[in-house]
Amino acid sequence: MADFDLDVAWRLHPQVSVRPERFGALLYHFGTRRLSFVKTPELFAVVTALDSQPTARAACALAGVGTAELPVYARALGTLAASQMICERTAA
Amino acid sequence: MPDSAIELLDPPAEEAADTEIAAETDEVIAADVLVEEISIDGMCGVY
Repeated sequence: MADFDLDVAWRLHPQVSVRPERFGALLYHFGTRRLSFVKTPELFAVVTALDSQPTARAACALAGVGTAELPVYARALGTLAASQMICERTAA
Repeated sequence: MPDSAIELLDPPAEEAADTEIAAETDEVIAADVLVEEISIDGMCGVY
């Protein structure tokens, strides 16, 4: 898997529906019919912050992810990107 | 400084590589704990 770029803008894929859960959230992609379990509220906070933040790094900071935890979150976001749950946000 | 002291200060490259691999493995495991994925394709009656 290619390294996830924390320094570009990301967003939830338009075909993804989010269901908050006690453990975090469930993401369902209507196109690929895949489910992703986001297993911590912190990662869910990062995912929901992506749309409003200029970079994934900023979304992580907003969600309270510390510098030491960034590599783990980058990898988790990379997993979500690889399954098209999130995608790069390009300028309109 | 005696040679043995230099050896203590400079761990062998192999050991440093092992540490790097271990750190990366920890990242993979931690990320797997954060996200789990399944496909519902092939599940009867789901859609």
